[in-house]
Amino acid sequence: MLSMTNISKVFQTDEIQTHALRDFSLQVNEGDFVSVTGPSGSGKTTFLNIAGLLETFTSGSFLLDDINVSGLNDKQRSRFRNEKIGFIFQSFNLIPDLNLFDNVDVPLRYLGLKGKERKERIEHHLDMVGLASRMKHLPSQLSGGQQQRVAIARALATHPRFLLADEPTGNLDTHMAQSVMSLLEDINTKGTTIIMVTHDNELAKRASRKIQIKDGRVSELDKVIDHDIDVSPQAIA
Amino acid sequence: MNEIALIFRALLRNKVGAILISLQIALTLTIMVNAVFMMQERHAQMQRPSGLDEANLFYLSNTIFATDYNQEVALRDDLELLRNTPGVVDAIQINAIPLSGGGWSMGLQTEPGENQSSAGVAVYMVDDHAIHTLGLELLSGENFAETDIQWRESGTTRWPAKTIVTQAMAKELYPDDWQSALGKTVYISQTQPIQIIGIVRALQAPWNGWNGVERSMLVPYQMETSNSRYMIRTEPGRRDELMPIIEKALAQSNKGRIIRGLRTMEETRERSYRGHNAVNKILTTVVFTLTLITGFGIVGLAMFSINRRTKQIGTRRALGASRSQIMGYFLIENLMITTLGVVIGSAGAIGLNIWLVNTFTLSPINPVLVVIGIACIYLVGLLAVLYPARKAANISPAIATRTA
Ligand SMILES: Nc1ncnc2c1ncn2[C@@H]1O[C@H](COP(=O)(O)OP(=O)(O)OP(=O)(O)O)[C@@H](O)[C@H]1O
Ligand SMILES: [Mg+2]
Repeated sequence: MLSMTNISKVFQTDEIQTHALRDFSLQVNEGDFVSVTGPSGSGKTTFLNIAGLLETFTSGSFLLDDINVSGLNDKQRSRFRNEKIGFIFQSFNLIPDLNLFDNVDVPLRYLGLKGKERKERIEHHLDMVGLASRMKHLPSQLSGGQQQRVAIARALATHPRFLLADEPTGNLDTHMAQSVMSLLEDINTKGTTIIMVTHDNELAKRASRKIQIKDGRVSELDKVIDHDIDVSPQAIA
Repeated sequence: MNEIALIFRALLRNKVGAILISLQIALTLTIMVNAVFMMQERHAQMQRPSGLDEANLFYLSNTIFATDYNQEVALRDDLELLRNTPGVVDAIQINAIPLSGGGWSMGLQTEPGENQSSAGVAVYMVDDHAIHTLGLELLSGENFAETDIQWRESGTTRWPAKTIVTQAMAKELYPDDWQSALGKTVYISQTQPIQIIGIVRALQAPWNGWNGVERSMLVPYQMETSNSRYMIRTEPGRRDELMPIIEKALAQSNKGRIIRGLRTMEETRERSYRGHNAVNKILTTVVFTLTLITGFGIVGLAMFSINRRTKQIGTRRALGASRSQIMGYFLIENLMITTLGVVIGSAGAIGLNIWLVNTFTLSPINPVLVVIGIACIYLVGLLAVLYPARKAANISPAIATRTA
């Protein structure tokens, strides 16, 4: 499903080389719910960006849905993102000039769907996140939790196979975080593969698979106990 | 592009900048179209043929100071000298120079009497060599005969019995059928009859800004005057070489006068339209500058809005927009802004023209000009937004996760 082998990512700025990922290898299977934790600057976002074709990598091999993505051009990558990947961002990233309906509509238009089908999908997904009644509202008229739910509706409306979330609850209070997490769990049980970066160990624990990234390298928390971090008993259990 | 509705709705939420640029585009179109129109008018005026063989004509002043000067004899001698100079085609004495700014005018009327309406006409006093010297084209009738030429004493109010008029003057007198002017007796100085014996195609008056500039008449007079002008036509290409030779020959042949003020017809035309040329240059500069400023305005607005929307562009990329779709977004957005400007501007351009027509009696604008103006504005808009749109297209989708 997702297969990274010896991926490395080097950011080359004027004088400094930053090794954001080194020899990074990971397999994610269909239907997994993977949580990703790790210290700040360890490479979590970099990993997610590469996984979501937002960024290219320096070396290694990456198969997504059995396709070698390093061979794709911009148009193909964009199409791939549009059709198969849904993104959820820490700061929601709704388009402030568009109302909720139009926000969910954006990726559907790139998909080239007909108006009727788009309308059905938008209404269905906004309904699913409990915001159908506020379709005509602007993002700025919603709370953070509501905005994130719209973002989830937008990510799901294209029927993606992968959902990539970078700290989706990072800007939400505990209560809101819980409800977003429940929503993600719900989605996962319906078959969407989810990779979620989080700083919240409690939430991370709820994933079916937990990995940690440290210094650009991955370690599987289920299998490896890293002595550098405080792993609570439940996490290993 | 299936994003048009979304682009439009997003634009509506950021109206102010867009409307200001639209108004600037509108103003540019308004001024551009009318300025080009005014330039065209001037250009068309400058293109009107004077009727003369301009390239081979020059003239000079003959200023008499001697008291014992027999003007009639001296004129005959001068013309004989000029006409016999090798390389000279022909020469005449003339009272005024076309396009020079100074000359005589009279009124001609088809019925005699004080209360009859008359048409203004420039008067050229010349002999039977005028048509040949000036290079005029006789459309109908005939030239003056040598015997028609009268000696005009200074101060006389009498007019000769015959005249040759331009086609434009014939049309002015007989609007239904200019050819019918031939042979007709018309009246000069309200009551003096004068017969039209010939019609020439064109001969412009001395005043290029006069709306009757095409209306001229020749009268068969040689003049008594202490300051007369000779117009000389040379063989093609020999004008410049002959000017100093003739100046010298005339000066030497008779010491009782001074020969001065030699000037070619080409220079006279150039001086005559110097103002036109200057105004056209200013208008060109204004249009060019304004277009440039508007272009920069579009670039500025686009850059500003792209910088403001960096994250949203990254998000669109993450959601599946390709580079060309992002580029298309900004091109279409710009097209909408330009179109609003063009709609307002076209109305403005036509409105301003109507005002100009009513206020300065200009002719109405050619709609083709408005269409060309619109095309130019769209082109400028497209060129201006190209660089910002490319910049937007190059925004990395990773921006979506990398900015707060
Ligand atoms: N565009 C870039 N140019 C240079 N270095 C970068 C760039 N993006 C990330 N890095 C570096 O790569 C490393 C990994 O960054 P990354 O954003 O993946 O960390 P992270 O684990 O997501 O951190 P956080 O938890 O703070 O979000 C960091 O050292 C960062 O400074
Ligand atoms: Mg990060």
